[in-house]
Amino acid sequence: MKYLLWVLLSLFLVSCSNDYVAIENTLLTVEVPKNFPELAYDIDANPPTQLGFELGKKLFYDGKLSSNGFISCGFCHEQSSAFTHHGHQFSHGVNDLEGTRNTPSISNMAFFNEFAWDGATSHLDLFPIIPITNEVEMGETMTGVINKLIADAVYQREFEMAFEEGGVNAENFLKAISQFMVMMISSNSKYDKYKRNEEGGQLTETEAMGLTVFQQKCASCHATDLFTDGSFRNNGLPPNPQLNDLGRVEVSGSDSDKYKFKVPSLRNVSLTAPYMHDGRFGSLESVLNFYTNGMVDSETLDDSLQTQDGLGIALNDEEKEGLLAFFEILTDYTFINDERFSEY
Amino acid sequence: MKFINRILIGTLVLSAFASCSSDDDTTDELMGENSITLEFDNAVGSDDLLLATSSYTNSQNETLTITRLNYIVSNFRLTNNMGEVFTYEKDDSYFVTSEETGNTEVVLENIPAGTYISVTFGIGVDQEKYLQGAEGQGDFLTVAEETNMMWSWQAGYKFLNFEGTFTSETVTEATDFKVHMGSHGSSLDNYKEVTLSLGTDALVSDEMSPIIHLVADASVILDGENKLSLSEQSVIMVSEEKSPLVALNTASMFTVDHVHNGTGDSH
Repeated sequence: MKYLLWVLLSLFLVSCSNDYVAIENTLLTVEVPKNFPELAYDIDANPPTQLGFELGKKLFYDGKLSSNGFISCGFCHEQSSAFTHHGHQFSHGVNDLEGTRNTPSISNMAFFNEFAWDGATSHLDLFPIIPITNEVEMGETMTGVINKLIADAVYQREFEMAFEEGGVNAENFLKAISQFMVMMISSNSKYDKYKRNEEGGQLTETEAMGLTVFQQKCASCHATDLFTDGSFRNNGLPPNPQLNDLGRVEVSGSDSDKYKFKVPSLRNVSLTAPYMHDGRFGSLESVLNFYTNGMVDSETLDDSLQTQDGLGIALNDEEKEGLLAFFEILTDYTFINDERFSEY
Repeated sequence: MKFINRILIGTLVLSAFASCSSDDDTTDELMGENSITLEFDNAVGSDDLLLATSSYTNSQNETLTITRLNYIVSNFRLTNNMGEVFTYEKDDSYFVTSEETGNTEVVLENIPAGTYISVTFGIGVDQEKYLQGAEGQGDFLTVAEETNMMWSWQAGYKFLNFEGTFTSETVTEATDFKVHMGSHGSSLDNYKEVTLSLGTDALVSDEMSPIIHLVADASVILDGENKLSLSEQSVIMVSEEKSPLVALNTASMFTVDHVHNGTGDSH
């Protein structure tokens, strides 16, 4: 699976005072890591190019996408925290308004089919509409954003260079942001190196034990090396009565989806505190304690969490210690330090 | 360019076909291409729809004052008298009609000459299109947003936006109602298609650009084959049970009233 090996034939002529300078746009390679499943994103429909990617990155970090000009995507998705909002249970958007769900990590998006905690959209391209138009996040309209970009001569030129057709419009705007996100692949943790038999992939005894526990007790939902099966499940969290977030019901309208949220990936999980859809747990210890003895029963509680012995996942202290060590090896330092994705 | 090429090829093929068919066939005279206008005339039963003016009482004894009726129509296909189907270019085939903006006409350009007997179209945006993501969207997203047809938090389209106030035996104070119908992410597909016989042949040629006058009976949205009581629930949006019923009713609200053949500039 390699999408590469051709240089864009079209050269874009850009007027630069009296001279014409040819700017070449090149296709980027989207390489699927050996231990990953197939891509879900249709690369052929929106093949990332160097200029498209750079435009997407600029948009990702541009506060113009919000109504007050300050809240960019990167405001809540910080690279050092694996593109989550460090220390924030809920992020604050425009006018200091606060949402009700914890900022999810952005990595390996090209491998997923459902986005947002409730699967509000099933296409990556359309995802940015949600935070942009949410009045407690970026509080803008798509029309408003596009008009601001049209009014900006630099953006106009960048759109024209990055895309063969259309210039500044919603389609190219969303394609550029997707190109940026499609390239954000995290696949170089110690765990990955272990899986691929690469140097630096030697696990300690505790880590290896943690991996075994994980495979036995967690991997049915946190499946594959993306660490999620992409499904929506009720994991038995007692609903917060102040929020009464029904989860996937808001998308499907089906009572059978009550309190179901998307199984999150565990990549870089040590960096993405706080945890759960509402960021209620500040540490992974608390998360494990919840799974052993904090769960509440309800009609939609996931079957896999109900056994003859009762609710939850049985874990002794040693197993918990192993799991915590295992979570550490999911941190991908290459990814969080990759300058291609950095704001500055 | 792809689109234009396809149209050109389509036109050539059709023209060739027309010129080769038997001499006494009237389509012999229909050459070239032209536009077809579909006019969506919104009504309530046999009455004209007047926004925020008239009130309308339905069979469930609910009296509605309607303030908004917008819907998306899409994926137009035209069938001619030889059973051939002309499919309008998909990327250009999505339209918002809106009673409040007065934008209730859909103009399909570059339709090959022919004698058309039926039209097929969708209400809403099909999953195939949605799952293309940004590809082929052009400006439709912003058009939908400006006409209140985008579900911001769900990153999807409202196929129907029907709003107003109502009273009934049990709800005596005028109360807002909102009926927003669309697909529910990946879990429920509410896109529907409808095929309508034109009754009168619609003739397209270099000289002829027909207007197809459709009537959309808004009373059917809540009071059609499926009965939805506003007294019971006045805000119907993402409901697994009710939104498919709204979708079915909405798809059945269209009829072809009449067809004007001619140069396209007269009614």
